[in-house]
Amino acid sequence: MDILQRMKDHFIFFDGGMGSLLQEKGLKAGELPETWNLSHPQVLVEIHKSYLRAGANILTTNTFGANRLKYPREGSWDLGKLVEQGVKNAIQAREEFLREKGYSQDFTDSDADTDSYVALDLGPTGKLLKPLGDLDFEDAVELYKEVIRTGTEAGADLILIETMSDTMEIKAAVLAAKESCGLPVFATMAFDGKGKLLTGGSVESATALLEGLRVDALGLNCGLGPVQMRPIAEKLLAVASVPVIVNPNAGLPRSQDGKTVYDINADQFAEEMERIADMGVSMLGGCCGTTPEHIQKTVRRCRDKAVRPVVKKGRTVISSYSRAVVMGREPVIIGERINPTGKSKFKQALRDHNLEYILREGVTQEEHGAHVLDVNVGLPEIHEPSMMEEVVRELQSVSDLPLQIDTSSPQAMERALRCYNGKALVNSVNGKEEVMDAVFPLVAKYGGVVVGLCLDEDGIPETVKGRIRIAKRIYERALSYGIGPEDILIDGLCMTISSDQTGALTTLETLRRVRDELHGKTILGVSNISFGLPGREIINAAFFTMALQEGLSAAIINPNNEAMMRAYYSFRALAGLDENCSDYIRIYGSGDVAGLGVTRGCSRAGAQQGPGQAGRDWTGAGGQSGGALGTGLGDGIIRGLKEAAMSAARELLKTRDALDIINQEMIPALDAVGKGFEKGTVFLPQLLMSAEAAKGGFEVIKEHMAGTGQTQVSKGKVILATVKGDIHDIGKNIVKVLLENYGYEVIDLGKDVPPERVAEAAVKDHVKVVGLSALMTTTVPSMEETIRQLRREAPWVKVMVGGAVLTQEYADTIGADQYCRDAMASVNYAEKVM
Amino acid sequence: MEVDRREILRYLGYGREKEEVPVAALIDSCVEELSAAVDPKHLSREYQLRILPDGTIDGSCFQVKSRSLSRNLKDCSQVILFGATLGIGADLLIQKYNKLQMSRAVVMQAAAAAMIEGYCDGVCSQMRQIYEGEGLYLRPRFSPGYGDFPLKCQSELLDALEAGKRMGIKLTDSYLMMPSKSVTAVIGVSKKPYRCEVKGCEACGRTDCIYRRDP
Repeated sequence: MDILQRMKDHFIFFDGGMGSLLQEKGLKAGELPETWNLSHPQVLVEIHKSYLRAGANILTTNTFGANRLKYPREGSWDLGKLVEQGVKNAIQAREEFLREKGYSQDFTDSDADTDSYVALDLGPTGKLLKPLGDLDFEDAVELYKEVIRTGTEAGADLILIETMSDTMEIKAAVLAAKESCGLPVFATMAFDGKGKLLTGGSVESATALLEGLRVDALGLNCGLGPVQMRPIAEKLLAVASVPVIVNPNAGLPRSQDGKTVYDINADQFAEEMERIADMGVSMLGGCCGTTPEHIQKTVRRCRDKAVRPVVKKGRTVISSYSRAVVMGREPVIIGERINPTGKSKFKQALRDHNLEYILREGVTQEEHGAHVLDVNVGLPEIHEPSMMEEVVRELQSVSDLPLQIDTSSPQAMERALRCYNGKALVNSVNGKEEVMDAVFPLVAKYGGVVVGLCLDEDGIPETVKGRIRIAKRIYERALSYGIGPEDILIDGLCMTISSDQTGALTTLETLRRVRDELHGKTILGVSNISFGLPGREIINAAFFTMALQEGLSAAIINPNNEAMMRAYYSFRALAGLDENCSDYIRIYGSGDVAGLGVTRGCSRAGAQQGPGQAGRDWTGAGGQSGGALGTGLGDGIIRGLKEAAMSAARELLKTRDALDIINQEMIPALDAVGKGFEKGTVFLPQLLMSAEAAKGGFEVIKEHMAGTGQTQVSKGKVILATVKGDIHDIGKNIVKVLLENYGYEVIDLGKDVPPERVAEAAVKDHVKVVGLSALMTTTVPSMEETIRQLRREAPWVKVMVGGAVLTQEYADTIGADQYCRDAMASVNYAEKVM
Repeated sequence: MEVDRREILRYLGYGREKEEVPVAALIDSCVEELSAAVDPKHLSREYQLRILPDGTIDGSCFQVKSRSLSRNLKDCSQVILFGATLGIGADLLIQKYNKLQMSRAVVMQAAAAAMIEGYCDGVCSQMRQIYEGEGLYLRPRFSPGYGDFPLKCQSELLDALEAGKRMGIKLTDSYLMMPSKSVTAVIGVSKKPYRCEVKGCEACGRTDCIYRRDP
């Protein structure tokens, strides 16, 4: 029987540990287990058979660590053959077992009267993915594909991805399977005792991602024993809509006389597994330390139980790598600020590739209480797909909020969904066939909750009836792509009441009917309602409250706008969603709530996470003491008080010329700090705080100059890069901050940069100075290679180098022009040669 | 989590100087944010130690030639492999502020470095007490990269500890550990007490390092 069919109403038993059994047979410490597929095939066949006799239905191939990284092409083992033989050993075991069963008189064990399946086992790559690690996502996909192709050809029945602790790596493995074979895909993860993955994922966030990727079963393995795994399995059962797998270790391990022993025995193991089965888990087996005895005892306890059918939970949920956001009872706020429409500064940031500006927009919204960030980077003059991918990656490196991918370009959509770590909100489809046909396949492949706009080829229907009709069509078409109604958010759209008096009423009635009649979830860009009217936020806030009352699930708003956030918090208090009004009291209970400025401390995120709040407060604290110490711009810079420096700059601009302020106030202050640093009276943190204060001042001045049509003169371009192999870029970034302060335009190539990219960049802009950074002795050779290539391709370039392991001597050996022992030294060098 | 402020200041280059007021506030808030984000874990395993005729150190799960490690393991019969990490949370914070606020990134980095050292010291001092109860003495932690103990040994130590699976420590191609605030070390076990208590920073032969602790 087909495994997918069988698991609907049968228990499925996995096998148990492999490594410990191989060790018993003589596998040495440090020896690669997969090599035994070829060197000791009969041992593998016997182990598989012992699990079949114990009643296992799934044989896991001995290919956990088989990938190109561990078995390089130039190595002594052929990866393809190891994988192929791994699968064949399991198949042979199954054949021999069936023969045995048929011929043997005394073999009457009904434990085994089931079909069995060979699962191609895939473990973690062993490397951490970018951005924190050095393995590229697409390279990870390729690593898995290579193994999957071989395993599939050799006859595997399904793909088992296990012991995963990084959601991005799981995504790579699942996509590899989906893109290279048609076999069922199961995925299990190793959670710690607190129910977290080592990379921060939770049961809910990881489940959202995996179900979005359409795995056929998901669950837990390794790390814990059955006792510790049970509460995590319970959490998983509460949210999962596919069958759940539980494959624990034999217990908690400890070392005794040089051997690993577990805190429970096989009987206790089986007893615990029975409890887990009684909770509703129907796919059970073991991991490290478990033996055929563990499996047999588990099978005997569980096989005659009735299998509980899996219930679809119908949850509308999106996720980031660590956080899940559920659309339902609690209204969800989607921050709308990452969008160039109508924002000249944002447009300029996109044109200038100023990602820092975009990231700040994201983090600020998070601090003001956004639960999700909308990301729209569409601008005619930029390449949207690559910008979208970059912004999504970068945002995920500074914020753990789920993202809403907002684009009309299917290409940009796919790039974003592919690199996104989680299950995204997808904005959007509408009733147009062409749009649905372009977007739904992407959602079906990568997962996502998709926004469905109530408009079609004929425009936006004026009536509620017309909009509901389109909503129904969207639900219907989505279903034909395997996208359930829980993964749709209907946007009833709103037309401004300044042109249509009934605009708001139509929208509100649409919301109500989607909730009451279609039992769906809704989303709305709230602020359109007031277009063309004065005091827009007054109308917006009132309309927002009305929409929430009609069941609006998610609102796309500006969370930095206090009127909107007040509407949100008061609605929650009024609607009985804010227990004891505690959030409301926390936010508005003290301080001045008059006026409509953003209320201090209304940071939802900050208040909930405590430290996050404190994390931003230090500048404020400094600012207060700064007030007493003096408010001059130079003073603010020297003391590193950004707010003080910015307001002083604003003040000075009223009476003085911009360039005058820079030259007479800011540069002397920066020089004073720099000199102090060189003399050893000012230290690195203070130097950087001063640089950041100065940067704040420069921003104020730059804005003023742009307003008056003046432009700032750049002192020239400098390329900075952390060399290939090195993924620590803190030193390079320190240099960047200082160089920018001194008026240089920094082309920041990032970290782990191949030599040829540095050379290319130097040639492209004919850049005069290149700064290279390396932290490790192991990466100095790639610094040397970069210099060699620069000398060849761009002989005019002056190369300065720095980093923890470098010395003057080292710098001379590898042919650098200048060794910079610290960041100020690189500024001085740039000043000298440019 | 407890963290030694003097160590943070040392990593930031202050030596014996006192930090400026805004910097003091910055350190406090970094320590607070970091404490909530880290998830310290450690593993240790004991192995037999042999010195092969050609001087190779054979720690059962790793073999290496290193004069500085040999000195460190003099009179030892066993070695403890030790691994510890603050988890990926510290790196996520450092990464975040690296893009948004360098002063905070730098302080976060120093605070995390002080935190992992402090954590290792705490764990090791507990182990030391246990061993001393059995009449055995522990040598100071000695990590790949100290003296001539090659960084490449990192992978063997991590494999033996199953540190990838159990603590999430992975290596980059250039033998850098991720999470970056991770430590691996070899600790000698001997029946003879160790006279000169040298550990961590001071155990390294590089005396010209700007971060070196004052004697």
